[in-house]
Amino acid sequence: MEKERIKQAYLDYVLRKSAPPASVFKLTQKLGIPEAEFYRYYATFDAIDRDIWADFGRQARERAALEPVWNEYGSRERLLAFYFTLLEILKQNRSYALQSLRRSMPKVPGFTPRVLDDFRQDFEVFAEDLLREGRRTEEVASRPLVQEQYPRAFWQQILFVLGFFAKDDSLNFERTDAAIEKAVTLSFDLVGRNSLDSALDLARFLLHRR
Amino acid sequence: MSDSQEIIPTPESSKPLVSLPTTKVARAARFAKTGLKVGANYVKHYARRSVGAESTTENLHAANAAELYGALSEMKGSVLKVAQMMAMEKNILPSAYADQFAQAQYQTPPLSGPLVIKVFRDTLGRSPYELFDEFDINARQAASIGQVHFARKDGKALAVKVQYPGVADSIRSDIRLVKPIALRVLGLSESQVRPYLEEVETRLLEETDYKLELRRGTEIADRSAELPHLEFARYYPEYSSTRILTMDWLPGQHLKEFLATNPSQAVRNQLGQALWDFYAFQIHTLRQVHADPHPGNFLLRADNGGTLGVLDFGCVKDIPAEFYEQFFALLEPGVLTDEVRLATLLTALEVLRPDDPAAQRDLYLRTIKASLELVAQPFQQPSFDFGNEAYIQSLYALGDDLMQQPELRQQREPRGSRHFIYVNRTYVGLYALLSELKAEVRTEMPFLAEAKL
Repeated sequence: MEKERIKQAYLDYVLRKSAPPASVFKLTQKLGIPEAEFYRYYATFDAIDRDIWADFGRQARERAALEPVWNEYGSRERLLAFYFTLLEILKQNRSYALQSLRRSMPKVPGFTPRVLDDFRQDFEVFAEDLLREGRRTEEVASRPLVQEQYPRAFWQQILFVLGFFAKDDSLNFERTDAAIEKAVTLSFDLVGRNSLDSALDLARFLLHRR
Repeated sequence: MSDSQEIIPTPESSKPLVSLPTTKVARAARFAKTGLKVGANYVKHYARRSVGAESTTENLHAANAAELYGALSEMKGSVLKVAQMMAMEKNILPSAYADQFAQAQYQTPPLSGPLVIKVFRDTLGRSPYELFDEFDINARQAASIGQVHFARKDGKALAVKVQYPGVADSIRSDIRLVKPIALRVLGLSESQVRPYLEEVETRLLEETDYKLELRRGTEIADRSAELPHLEFARYYPEYSSTRILTMDWLPGQHLKEFLATNPSQAVRNQLGQALWDFYAFQIHTLRQVHADPHPGNFLLRADNGGTLGVLDFGCVKDIPAEFYEQFFALLEPGVLTDEVRLATLLTALEVLRPDDPAAQRDLYLRTIKASLELVAQPFQQPSFDFGNEAYIQSLYALGDDLMQQPELRQQREPRGSRHFIYVNRTYVGLYALLSELKAEVRTEMPFLAEAKL
């Protein structure tokens, strides 16, 4: 497919030259297609970057779900499986991943690099699904109002994981594995029923008595 | 395949651990906190003492041990390994510490399923579901630096050990962290323990190399194949990597569960004999020993009058010939009464130094003699009853006594060849197992008479 060819050619170029091509024309010339063909699929090179990242996320979700135990997993394990699979994919594309992140790094920390926009949209839908499933199985506590913010909180978690991965210098990025395991465990302890709910429950009870 | 030996994690133990300190700084902070608390416990102890209240040293040890164990169990992996090791050294460690640490042998929070799969993909390129016909994602047992899963392939039941990520990486820094605390608790000085710590570090790092374990396990099992009533798991290199070790799932129960079934004296004797012969063979013939004889590494069952399954060849100590000769010369009958020969041997073993002042030399000689009289007892008779409570009690009491002796505590340097550590640990573990079994064992060693220095 033409779209795939363009994407692959762009990826190869960026990996070889450590920078995007100087112009769309340069790339289409190499591919031997008219420049207009390019714009049928992408408006800019940035759009390809966003698409590649969205692909990483999609592949990670699909591959993780292929595991036979996927159906036995709770939400926590599913999120873990997604992260570990994503990490595998990023490991194979680490140079590109780091480069594209660096190119679009926002000035303010905590903000999302633009290159992750499409990836983020899919991820938040995925996280929302996981949380809904978790509420059904009572793995996640139902907290109206607060819970609308959860997908954004999980987005911050993935930014943390990506940041950790970018700086990890341990062999085979084993420390990132550990970081993921711990971060996900913590987050699910927080969204699960915990002492906070009991405290709120007591507060509500005391208020109602008046 | 019976399921009787399955160790299924209790709900508590499978609960994920929330507060695992990740960074080195966090770990250090955790230890610093423990150090403070241990200090505080001492202060409380002496404060209570000074107002005449009943505060036994026992209490103090129990409080410290709980504190230390809390810190250690938050830092899985190598630290836990050190804890286990100290637990083995019952004769060094007061019993309260030992009891707390002994828990470490059974309790560690498991890895999540997805991470287990990832380790497979990372090191073997395929998921466990592709490799095996059946794979239980929930760990059946925790090992100190990994966990054990049950799998089945072509009808064969397999035990698959999976290592925690980053264990090898963190061992060095962990030892640096544990060192000051351990030294304080054990009342040792820091300056001259380096050779010993190096020895421990080497063993710990070796333990993270499952390829090495596979090779050594296969080798020792092959060479020990002739010994009766023993059973070894076969290793499967095609399903093993540096972080995954696949072997046969041996039937049997761990010591505690097995003893709860009230095995007969004959069965216990046979198991004890098998254990003793296995160690005698390794030490005297192979000169290479499975130096981790803690209860978690053996599976017992009553079949054929008692069969012993041996697991885990992670910790193997090669015994150098020179050390071997000097060490076993110490156990020969008559050495203890021959002061000159004893002194010569102890000097060779670096326990005594030519420039020691006479008083110190006497102190060491006296202490060593007292210890050896006890430790060597089983070797000097045709058979020995490890069910003899009094003997084991006096063995443990000896360690406690040594710790209490003011003159000895003032000796701020450990003595002796570094090879003592694991050879000692092996015998302490072996004696402990045999006494739990209450086995009567033929201990005679014909070669002793031949061994000449």
